Amino acid sequence: MYDPLRVALKVGASGLEAQSKRLRVVSENLANAQSTASTPGGDPYTRKVVTFENEVDEALGASLVKVAGIERHRTPYRIEHNPSHPAADANGYVKLPNVDIVSEVADMQEANRSYEANLQVIKQARELIAMTIDLLRSN
Amino acid sequence: MSVIHLFDIVSRQNRWLSVRQSTIAGNIANANTPGYKALDVEPFEKALELTRLSMNSTHAGHLAESGARTSTVEAANSSSWDVTHSGNSVSIEQELINAGEVNRAYRLNTSIAKAFHRMILASAKV
Amino acid sequence: MLDPISGVSNAAAAGSAPETLLAPSRGASPAAAGDAGADFGSFLAQLAGNTVSTLKAGEATALAGVRGQATTQQVVEAVMTSEQTLQTAIAIRDKVVSAFLEVSRMSI
Repeated sequence: MYDPLRVALKVGASGLEAQSKRLRVVSENLANAQSTASTPGGDPYTRKVVTFENEVDEALGASLVKVAGIERHRTPYRIEHNPSHPAADANGYVKLPNVDIVSEVADMQEANRSYEANLQVIKQARELIAMTIDLLRSN
Repeated sequence: MSVIHLFDIVSRQNRWLSVRQSTIAGNIANANTPGYKALDVEPFEKALELTRLSMNSTHAGHLAESGARTSTVEAANSSSWDVTHSGNSVSIEQELINAGEVNRAYRLNTSIAKAFHRMILASAKV
Repeated sequence: MLDPISGVSNAAAAGSAPETLLAPSRGASPAAAGDAGADFGSFLAQLAGNTVSTLKAGEATALAGVRGQATTQQVVEAVMTSEQTLQTAIAIRDKVVSAFLEVSRMSI
């Protein structure tokens, strides 16, 4: 398949997939930003992050990207004093998710930007292929 | 031989542009990969020189490797738009600018090739 | 990409066949016809041979393209080359045939 333009399509598609997964994880984080544990003193929802990895296909000359894994982000939970909460521990403290809404929204915007850029690459590669085939048209 | 030489140059540049496009695609796809450094292709003049040397012995009907000899090099980070602590050096804006340049040049080349192709066919219709 | 056409033109001793057709007024044709040692018959034979091999190569590339083994650009270039070579060969053939008919109509 060593056609560079088709390789560009494949690479762009891998970028789209990776950014989609990232967006999905970000929306999970946002949805669960206030999700506490159900048992007293238990751990709440832990922020998830995706890690990207560069996957090089030497034969094609393609530099693909893939999501190597979705991990729990190990930063300390937020603590709130709320004795009446079902998840409050012995001292009345409730552990809340380590999700910072502002940075999640920023991450989402970044992911959108990357997604759009990958889409642009795919559109252009498709256009270049069409231009080449268009050479054979008789007008 | 000038027309034939023109077709040859245009063809090679389009092959080079295609490789550049796939390199840009790789950069944009890996814009968030930690430690990834943006790549770019070597300048066209240099690629032209190298292929001229290796293409001398190929037969006309041989399916030559398309642009496989255009090597990619690490892009010189002249204007550091993005300096991230993850070691990623991709600037999406720069990549999109380069992509626009590829588009323009490719479009010009195919238009030229088409025009001269038409001319040759027309001239053979005496 | 256009090596087959240069193959055709190499058969014509002086200059290229397409360029000869492009600029007949430049006097290139008399030079080609009268070149020492270039037998017109062998020139035509070589032209035919080159045309056939170009078309065959073009066909092979197009087939490879359909099977996904050639790049889009290679296929397009092969088809364009075949078109040009064939058109040129046809034009030359027509000229030769009409010249032959002219000669055959001459009174003895």
